Amino acid sequence: MTTTVSKAAVVAERRTAKRRTGGVGRPGFAWALPATAFFVLFAVVPLLLVAVLSFTSWNGLGSPRFAGLDNWTKLLDDPVMLNSLWLSVLITVLGVLVQTPLSILLGVWAAGHQRNRAVLSAIYFVPLLLSATAVSVLWRTLLDPNFGVPSQAKWLFGDGNLLGMQSGAIGVLVFVGAWQFTPFHTLIYQGAARAIPQVLYQAAQIDGAGTVRQFFHITLPQLRNTMITSMILMVVGGLTTFDTVLILTQGGPGTDTTISAYYMYQKAFKSFDFGAGSAIALLLVVVATVISLVVVRVSGYDKMRSSVEGL
Amino acid sequence: MKTPARISRAVAAGVALALGLTLSACGGGSSDSAGGGGSDKIHVLVYGDAANKVEKQLVATFNKTSKVKAVLDTIPGADYQQKLQTIISTPQAPDIFFNWGGGSIKPFVDADLLLPLDDFIKEDPALKSSFLPSVFDSASVNGKPYGVPMRGTQPVLLFNNKKVLADAGVTPPKTWDDLLGAVKALKAKGVTPIALGGGDQWPTLMWFEYLYDRVAGPEVFQKALGGDKSAWESAGSKKALGMIRELVDAGAFGTNYDSVKFTDQGSPTLLATGKAGFELMGSWEYSTQQDSHPAFAKKDLGYSSFPTVAGGTGDAGNLVGNTNNFYSVMKKTKHPEAVAAFLKLQYSDEFVKAQLGIGNLPTTTNTEKFLGASASPGYSKYQFDLVKKAPSFQLSWDQAYPQSASTPMHQAVQQFFNGGLDTDGFIKAMQALPTA
Repeated sequence: MTTTVSKAAVVAERRTAKRRTGGVGRPGFAWALPATAFFVLFAVVPLLLVAVLSFTSWNGLGSPRFAGLDNWTKLLDDPVMLNSLWLSVLITVLGVLVQTPLSILLGVWAAGHQRNRAVLSAIYFVPLLLSATAVSVLWRTLLDPNFGVPSQAKWLFGDGNLLGMQSGAIGVLVFVGAWQFTPFHTLIYQGAARAIPQVLYQAAQIDGAGTVRQFFHITLPQLRNTMITSMILMVVGGLTTFDTVLILTQGGPGTDTTISAYYMYQKAFKSFDFGAGSAIALLLVVVATVISLVVVRVSGYDKMRSSVEGL
Repeated sequence: MKTPARISRAVAAGVALALGLTLSACGGGSSDSAGGGGSDKIHVLVYGDAANKVEKQLVATFNKTSKVKAVLDTIPGADYQQKLQTIISTPQAPDIFFNWGGGSIKPFVDADLLLPLDDFIKEDPALKSSFLPSVFDSASVNGKPYGVPMRGTQPVLLFNNKKVLADAGVTPPKTWDDLLGAVKALKAKGVTPIALGGGDQWPTLMWFEYLYDRVAGPEVFQKALGGDKSAWESAGSKKALGMIRELVDAGAFGTNYDSVKFTDQGSPTLLATGKAGFELMGSWEYSTQQDSHPAFAKKDLGYSSFPTVAGGTGDAGNLVGNTNNFYSVMKKTKHPEAVAAFLKLQYSDEFVKAQLGIGNLPTTTNTEKFLGASASPGYSKYQFDLVKKAPSFQLSWDQAYPQSASTPMHQAVQQFFNGGLDTDGFIKAMQALPTA
């Protein structure tokens, strides 16, 4: 009798032990369920609906009519569409190129502990608190050629026709994006820079390395994973840029800043061609996924291991 | 054994949550508006803005005597078109709704959603004869009337800054050559001759609308709108485009017009502060200036109609712009008699007085009697005479065409203006627009 009891106790003990080793710091699938449920409900289901819509012709009245590959063939022939993809990629790449160095430098600087840095950083993060709409309206007003900054600095801006020509308009979009989002990426880099073990710097100092050398040989390599995270966020954010275009340029002049996300909006909600709009949306999903995967592959993000012991 | 149980519980919770969400979404939708199915109500859907004051007043008047009550639903302006398109083919659709006539209701007519008003007019001829014909006709589709004018008319006029013009020794131009001369004189004085909110694109379109009308006559555009794409290649079309090119190249609009907007007060401020001499704009320019530059509006804001073009076939009295807004009626309304009775109010004395009181210029034939009571009688009278005498009143191109044409049309117009498209490119772009 005692043996049976003890046997059962041992089995139970083993089970709990097993659960414990599996349990500590290793969350089970159930942890992801609530988020997964929401993701399926609000992302996967709509995505599937959009995929279906992209094979129909629908102006929002009555029920969608099946149109086969119509939207897709038209889209691939559409010079505005091809150009919009190119513009999306261009604006994204420019955004990454401008924001990454800026936010690394600022983030590393803000990771220091002096008091003035905390105050300055706090001020610097203000753009993060503003909505994209407010930011766009603000810059649209500041850049008005007749009453804004350009009218006071003609030596720099000429006639101030920034938003009226392609290069100027793209420049403004990249600039406003950087103004708005560099603080966010700075915040990420600040956190990462603070997590770099101080021993590394102490050792380097003993070896006689200066600040610049420390930055290139310790800080930057240690920030590598953060850079990948931040760049993926920039790529996804850049490809889906919409509000700034809507307010600053409306895709103009002509179609010069009609990026894919805005083109999708134009097709679906201004021309009421929901089929074509859905096709563009899907195309954008595919492009963004491919680019993200490329970034992950090239950067070795998929082989990334956590540096926390035991995980 | 335990983990699966936990999972199924979580799944159940998730499903319950999802169901709850969809259920509450349905609840929200149905309580929002009882829709055309309501037993003793008619729903009137309008563009939400300051003019709702009058619409509320009329609904109250109507409800005093009618057994079937009217309910006014407003949608904030910027979302109006999208929301209308979304609900019009659902049970939430209104009985009567606000629109811009022409192309804005054509898709609804094609989808067989709207009631032609022939029978109402047979019953009550005043429903047609009380309105200025040039305005009433712009809500006809395929030759049948589908709308009753319900707000104010908005012809496009050539506004000017009297002081700037006087300083340059220029008078409001009567002919195209006068305008070119004025451009030269104003440029010599160092001001931008004509303010243009090119960033909004539709202000640029106004120049095309008037030049096509003056040079080639309203028939050419009507032909193009009817689906005859050769109209865009006609000699008149090419001549009008040549004149626009000439005006732009003469520096009439300066060089940074595409960075300026009307909607953020950019171009009106140019005119009001004397940095520009003219602005071609809808009649709402007057109230815009009254709001933001009252002193200027009172003293120096001048206006004239678009100049004539020598050798052009269009009548000098022709107008372009927003002829008016309209009430259209849904075919499936359960209370056509109540709807007809409600529409009658749109030519009542009460309606006219209330619209004039908020600065709108109604287009009923009896408007003239009450013009003295308007917010700015001289301006109202000037406009009303223009509209009344106009042999043709061309609805803005972007509203005459179906909604799906508006974006490519605006793009082509902006690109032709700034040199991104040549004449042939513009003609091709216009020929590619959907007309039905």
